[in-house]
Amino acid sequence: MVEVLSQTSDRSAEFETQDLLLNVGPQHPSTHGVFRMVMTVDGEVVRDVIPYIGYLHRGAEKLCETMDFRQGIGFMDRTEYLAAFNAELSYVMAVEALADLEVPERAQWIRMILSELNRLSSHFMFLGAFGVDTGVFGTPFIYAWREREALIDLFEEVSGDRMMYAYFRPGGVAWDVPVNFVDRVKEVLISSAQGIDDFDSLLSENEIFLARTQGVGSISAERAIALGMSGPSLRASGVDMDIRRDEPYLKYDQVEWDVITGEHGDVFDRYYCRVLEMRESIKIISQCLDRLAPGPILPEKMPRMLRTPPGEVYLRTEAPRGEYGVYMVSKGGNRPYRCKVRSSCLSNLQALHELTVGEYVADAIIILGSIDIVLSEVDR
Amino acid sequence: MRGIAKSMARTFAVFLRKPVTRDYPSYHKPIPERDRAFPLLLWDEDIHEPFCTGCHACERACPVECMTVLMKDNPNHKTLDGTSSRRKIIDKFWIDYARCMRCNICVEVCNFDAIAMNNTWEGHETSVYDRQDLVMDLQQLLSQSRTGNINEWVPVLGQTNETISEADAEDSEVSN
Amino acid sequence: MSVELFGTSFNPWVDAAIRLQLVVGFMTVVVMGLIYAERKILARFHQRVGPQKTGPRGLLQSVADAVKLVGKEDLRPAAADPWTFELAPYFVFIPIFLGFVIVPWVQGWNVRLLELGILYFVAISSISIVGWVMAGWGSDNRYAIIGALRAAAQGISYELPLVLALLSAAMLAGSLQLDKIVEFQSAVPLIVWQPLGFFIFFVAALAELNRTPFDIPVGESEIVGGPFVEYSGIRWSMFFLAEYAGMLIMAFVGSSVFLGGYSWPFGEDFGLPFQMLLAAGKGGLFIFLIFWVRASVPRLRIDQLMGYSWKILLPFSFLQILINGFVLVYGLPHIILLITGVLSLGLLFWVTEGIVQRPLEPRRRRARPTIVQEAEVS
Repeated sequence: MVEVLSQTSDRSAEFETQDLLLNVGPQHPSTHGVFRMVMTVDGEVVRDVIPYIGYLHRGAEKLCETMDFRQGIGFMDRTEYLAAFNAELSYVMAVEALADLEVPERAQWIRMILSELNRLSSHFMFLGAFGVDTGVFGTPFIYAWREREALIDLFEEVSGDRMMYAYFRPGGVAWDVPVNFVDRVKEVLISSAQGIDDFDSLLSENEIFLARTQGVGSISAERAIALGMSGPSLRASGVDMDIRRDEPYLKYDQVEWDVITGEHGDVFDRYYCRVLEMRESIKIISQCLDRLAPGPILPEKMPRMLRTPPGEVYLRTEAPRGEYGVYMVSKGGNRPYRCKVRSSCLSNLQALHELTVGEYVADAIIILGSIDIVLSEVDR
Repeated sequence: MRGIAKSMARTFAVFLRKPVTRDYPSYHKPIPERDRAFPLLLWDEDIHEPFCTGCHACERACPVECMTVLMKDNPNHKTLDGTSSRRKIIDKFWIDYARCMRCNICVEVCNFDAIAMNNTWEGHETSVYDRQDLVMDLQQLLSQSRTGNINEWVPVLGQTNETISEADAEDSEVSN
Repeated sequence: MSVELFGTSFNPWVDAAIRLQLVVGFMTVVVMGLIYAERKILARFHQRVGPQKTGPRGLLQSVADAVKLVGKEDLRPAAADPWTFELAPYFVFIPIFLGFVIVPWVQGWNVRLLELGILYFVAISSISIVGWVMAGWGSDNRYAIIGALRAAAQGISYELPLVLALLSAAMLAGSLQLDKIVEFQSAVPLIVWQPLGFFIFFVAALAELNRTPFDIPVGESEIVGGPFVEYSGIRWSMFFLAEYAGMLIMAFVGSSVFLGGYSWPFGEDFGLPFQMLLAAGKGGLFIFLIFWVRASVPRLRIDQLMGYSWKILLPFSFLQILINGFVLVYGLPHIILLITGVLSLGLLFWVTEGIVQRPLEPRRRRARPTIVQEAEVS
């Protein structure tokens, strides 16, 4: 019955109107970085949208080819600065697959905890930015920042840095977690659960929020698959696909958790899938903490300079925004011959045109927010 | 309307909570020991010279090539009636903080534990008006270690909590 | 002919000038206070501290902002229409300022108590829409023109429920003069007899003031400030001043008409300090409510916003007037007003909720993502 309020009649029959070209970005508060889209609008309705990307292109993949495997980690952090642990994870796992390295148990658990925590912090970032896109004055943003700050403090204690961790290494992790790590994670999980509750009661049932998000920017499962979407954006359309379950890496097959899927593939589903996914992440982390046993964190014999035999590998993991894959070719030696990142954001962004055309200008903003792009990952 | 009422109830509940703001310039949050700001050189208090021998290991391992190292013969070496056992010593050392990406690789490759990441607030508050001022020379790199302001934490790759001694374990506990 | 002011008699023109100067001074100071209050209160809603570095507890923050804004260069885009662009802030600011004429702050403290006070107020305040459109048109900016058209559409649409809600209150009080309406409420405030009217007034006031959830003309996250996008310095601060002055005046009119102003619950003859306290407290409550709503709800879309005004608020405000008419014409007891008011307010809430939650077609159903498959445990 939202139609009761909306009137999308075709006015072209009544008046002769002229389309307006509206340039959104690269300096616009809601393009989440330096994304630019040129919209053709008819009054308030979007008729066409052309995205422009590349403002943040730094050639990280090409740079990786000139560096040894350890040096590349720092550049992988910077391709995905909101979920750098997940980006590192794909990269180091690709290197491990090439070099045939065995990762110790403890290192795997640590990696799993940290990448799930990073999924939490990245989704918090999404919730905050998305809440502001829908027009709440700053409240969700600050709520999100409050929780993300606790997570980032924890990452700083573990790895030494707040965003660019460079902590996962081929073969394991760089050094052990602090001795009070488990207690600190438990603390942070409690505060994060509280933060998710705050969001749930602030947004999820608010009538205005529902009116704005439900039925807006829907995409069918077939089209979502055809456009190469992945992650929560794909699952919101009802596609039951999660790499953590379908191709278990790390120890995901040893913990108990659920895959969240939506039904309609609209903005609300994409939002709510992420909220529920965060609760699942908390479940995963608390199981990991119980299983974390003492032990080595790097293989016994790590060479000082890692060299790999010739070969190629494509390794994908489930990053917060979807499938983050690293394709790597080695011709032997200490550096990759080719390193290509399959970016989840770039693929999800392909759906922008299909989602946006025919909706209102205000909806275009929340649709862009709901597919949760990070421009550093789109442009790399 | 019930949803809006719920939202407003939640915001009011938050209104009554204590603010979480850290009053930054007047309050500096305690930094964990393994925090990484920019790299620094360490000073050997016993012999009064830098640990660094200018072996170029860090310079070669740096992914962004932000370092420039020059070495010289040590005038203080034992063969020259000095006190030091270092045959070669660092002559000139520049690190361009504007290029450094704080990846910690220089610390890991150093054979003499001569370089460490700054884990004090001085390492974070480095704003300048001219980019040239971010190119640090040897004296600037050593000054913090000479005055004892740096809390050294030179990570050992693959070090687990079991391998470090009890005393170290207490040290590495984060203060906050 | 002379007029009494502060015990001295003046020529009416001199008197008017003095009173207007007093209003200007009062308004500027209060608006600065309001900006500071909004920043502090919103900060607490965000669990922050808010401004604290300028002066004790950040009290001088607004002064610092004002100094900065006055000192800032006044830029005009090369392609802007000079006259429209430069005059627009005055067209926004002056009508709001003129609205202060009829506000009864406390008993006997006012500029002029016009007999058609409410009519004057709604007539004069809707002129500022012209200023918004001028700002949008003159800036030669596409965000600005979209914002200006949104402002015009919204301002005109919500003017109607606002006027009708005020009118229904005036029907009961039997006067359009604001101090008469306040006088009428010395025993029971009109919010008791007119809960539906008060709600409609509050929603329409939010829309008239372009506050969240009706801030689509400025819409920071969509059209980056709307008509103000090209303004800077003193002209921009005039828009800002107008916005907060409008909030102040709306709060005082609202509290005078519905909450009993300075009169309820102690009556007219109670001491002046208490009256000031009451008026300030009620106005402050109103403003706090506006801030609270701003911190809690998202922004509506243009079609939903227009639909809510024309299809829901307007019929309900007619309903309120009809009920009032029946009660007044047939001399029924006022308690009927309370009962029907509460019932129709409940109906309004029910309709508002129904819009969102009732599924008409599967695509727009409320989507609770379901958990479909559990990961296998080995």
